[in-house]
Amino acid sequence: MSTVQVEAQGLSKNFFDQSRGEVKAVQEVNFECRGSEIFGLLGANGAGKTTTLRMISTVLQPTAGTARVLGHDVVSDPVEVRRNLGFYSASTALYPRLTARETLTLFARVNMYPAERTRSRVEEMIERFGLGDYAGARIEKLSSGMKQKVSIARTVVHDPPVLIFDEPTVGLDVLNALDLQKAIQELREDGKAILFSTHIMSEAERLCDRIAIIDKGRIRACDDLEGLRAATSRHYLEDIFVHYVTGNDTPA
Amino acid sequence: MWFLTSLTTERRQERIESRTYTYAVADESADVAGTADARTWLERALAVVGDDGRADGNEPTAGPAVRFERVEAPDDVAAALDEERLHVHVAWEAGGDEDLPDEDVDRETVGNDGQGAPRIVLSYRADLDASDSAEAFLRRALERTRAELREQRLATAGFASAPDDLLPLERIETASEEQTSGLLLGRLLTAIIVMMMLAGGSIVATDALAGEKERGTLETLLTTAASRVEIVTAKNLSILAVAFATSVLNIVNIVVWMQLDLIAPPAGLKLVIPIGAGLLLVLLYAPAAVLLSSSLLLVSGRSKTYKEAQLLFAPVMLVAMAVAAIPVLPGVELRSAIVLLPIANLGVAAREILTGQYDWPLLAAAWAVTGGAAALLARASVRTLSAEKLITASELDAADLAGGPALFPRRVARWFAVLWALLLVWQLNIGGSIDSRLLISINMAIFGAAAWLMIGRYRLPVRETLSLRAPPAGAWLGVLIGAPAGLVLADGIVRLASLAMPIPEAWIEAMAENMGAGLPLWQMLIFFSLMPALFEEIAFRGVLLHGLKNRLTTVQLVLVAGIAFGFFHVDLFRIPPTSLLGVFLVVTVVRSGSIFPAMAWHGLHNALALGSARVEQIALPEQPIWWHYVLAALAILLAFRLMKRRTRAAFS
Repeated sequence: MSTVQVEAQGLSKNFFDQSRGEVKAVQEVNFECRGSEIFGLLGANGAGKTTTLRMISTVLQPTAGTARVLGHDVVSDPVEVRRNLGFYSASTALYPRLTARETLTLFARVNMYPAERTRSRVEEMIERFGLGDYAGARIEKLSSGMKQKVSIARTVVHDPPVLIFDEPTVGLDVLNALDLQKAIQELREDGKAILFSTHIMSEAERLCDRIAIIDKGRIRACDDLEGLRAATSRHYLEDIFVHYVTGNDTPA
Repeated sequence: MWFLTSLTTERRQERIESRTYTYAVADESADVAGTADARTWLERALAVVGDDGRADGNEPTAGPAVRFERVEAPDDVAAALDEERLHVHVAWEAGGDEDLPDEDVDRETVGNDGQGAPRIVLSYRADLDASDSAEAFLRRALERTRAELREQRLATAGFASAPDDLLPLERIETASEEQTSGLLLGRLLTAIIVMMMLAGGSIVATDALAGEKERGTLETLLTTAASRVEIVTAKNLSILAVAFATSVLNIVNIVVWMQLDLIAPPAGLKLVIPIGAGLLLVLLYAPAAVLLSSSLLLVSGRSKTYKEAQLLFAPVMLVAMAVAAIPVLPGVELRSAIVLLPIANLGVAAREILTGQYDWPLLAAAWAVTGGAAALLARASVRTLSAEKLITASELDAADLAGGPALFPRRVARWFAVLWALLLVWQLNIGGSIDSRLLISINMAIFGAAAWLMIGRYRLPVRETLSLRAPPAGAWLGVLIGAPAGLVLADGIVRLASLAMPIPEAWIEAMAENMGAGLPLWQMLIFFSLMPALFEEIAFRGVLLHGLKNRLTTVQLVLVAGIAFGFFHVDLFRIPPTSLLGVFLVVTVVRSGSIFPAMAWHGLHNALALGSARVEQIALPEQPIWWHYVLAALAILLAFRLMKRRTRAAFS
């Protein structure tokens, strides 16, 4: 197995919230993710998935614990972390008035991709994601399916070893969602370490090599599907999830 | 716009000057005393009407093309004026108040309305252009002829010279045109530049962070390898670039219009800015520009939407304009507390440079203050990019909800900032003009009220907030040793500071005056020793210290709370010694765990300062004696040692 690319140790995050007071959004989260692996964070809305991934992408600061990307600490070395990282979520939009080609060039350069190879890399991405006909059109003119492709290309244009997909299929139709899943699987074949969060069981079942079930900020279980099945003597991920989240033993 | 306005104004002028106006004269046969005089007067006026060529405010300038044509006097004057059959109606009356008709008619009298003298009454309609102009022409002609007639009479009566030549007055202004123009420009330049930069920069600034949040591109940007500092710097640069470009366009625009004579430059404006001064101005305005763009960016960063940012720009602009307008105020010099107010200090500095004064140490200080403020705001912008509450949904900190004592440490800086601004405004505007006892009483009332308000508002525990505890016995001895030594060191720091900015003689005199010279001793002690010792200690070593203590390390606390106290002594030259005193007093409270020794120290310090001023009239020895200071410093250290509480529960 390849080396550990992402690791989280005792990662915790507390918020203050107007209605709820202090909220422990993430508590003592530990996991690691290796190359050529899709590591899934499975949880309901508000379970702490996005907060965890935002801490790893350095957008949020952990209250306690550490996380490292390729050995770079998210607190002490955030720029190196982000350089080795592609972050995709439903809320990472694109600049509407840039063209796809300009977008890819911009993000390659911002992420310190070598200048002399940027042009060929951008063309390679355009070809790989089938953007050829639209590469010169402004993003705002593109269909949502095309935008999504540009977005993925944007995420990987600087060839980062680690990719984070935070609920990427939210709001996509079935075909676009399947396209996206296929793209993620291809990226695993490229050797990327992929963190993937979702609340959709079938997606986790289909994509993830290992799954962490997260609830109220804590990881309740973390294993591959077979392991989870063995530990809970349940077959369907849905049942396994309910078992861990409610602690309530539904009949096997 | 300018062009159109100027064109229409010209056309209007032409039309006014080249028309024929009608007038009528009422009932000449009427037997009024002095009718003959009045008739001569009117005839002479009509002969010269339109010759005066006087441009007076908004009144039309008459050219030779103005003609007056007499028409039959109508029966109903008001109706004739209304229908514009008649533009102006002339009548004469005998003098005297008893026969003034129609109280509700708006009357203005030409010349003396003294008893018995005849007068000409012009009736016209101010709301009709032609009638209004006709009246203006005729009135001015009458006024001039009246002066001539008067002179003739005086000459006939044997008065030697023309009345206009009596007691002539002449002014000679010694400032060069450049200096006068420099002052004019210097007063306004900062306000103009700030306005232009804000207008141009705000659009980019709104889009820069709030716009990115609304479009959802901010998170994309934040997960790239660009650092927060790089992002904020780049955003600031783009705001500055646009603000600069729009300002340059505006200025070029104005210059072009002036060159084309479409708008008139202010009278007597003759600007020659030497290259050196020009470059200095550019350098001087640089931190102001960064401060403006940073504040816009900060507002944008703290807003979640485009609209919210636009809404919040209004107060920022108001504050910036108010500060930028300070150079307009007369008598505000750079060598005053104004040097501590960002933007305003550079505005005043620019005004002084444009009038040829270069106060280098103060220029550097002003530059550093505004630059420092800009850096602080830029850092705050960087922080908004890491503040989860601005990126994610949760809104407020728990302390904000609970209110009360937990919230106070977050609010204390704000309270004291407002307090400082209040004090600054009040001292600058009224301070110098009232009795020193009243001034001090009001200052103390402000401090007392503020302390009381903060304690009440945040439900602070009084005893703990004000450190109302019994001090260790050694503290009193410490005060006896420390206060005189502190005064010696304060003198030392005044000398040090005066190397950078010499204290003017006039200031020392004014200071002695403010310090109640000439008051009886007991009054001096009450107003200048006892009251500050009570109220300033409650506000600064009580409430301020309580608010800051859990947020800062001890060293930071001593420096921040001490120097803040100095800054409240608005006067620039008093800041260094009072900051030092503040530092000593904070250490006293921290060491002894009690406010009482600080009160004693403060009171003793002020009393000793007054005493030494009474004895020597603030005549310090010419040469500082260095071992005095060494001894004093050692004494202070000893004093602090004596104050140390035995128990650990001291100051927490």
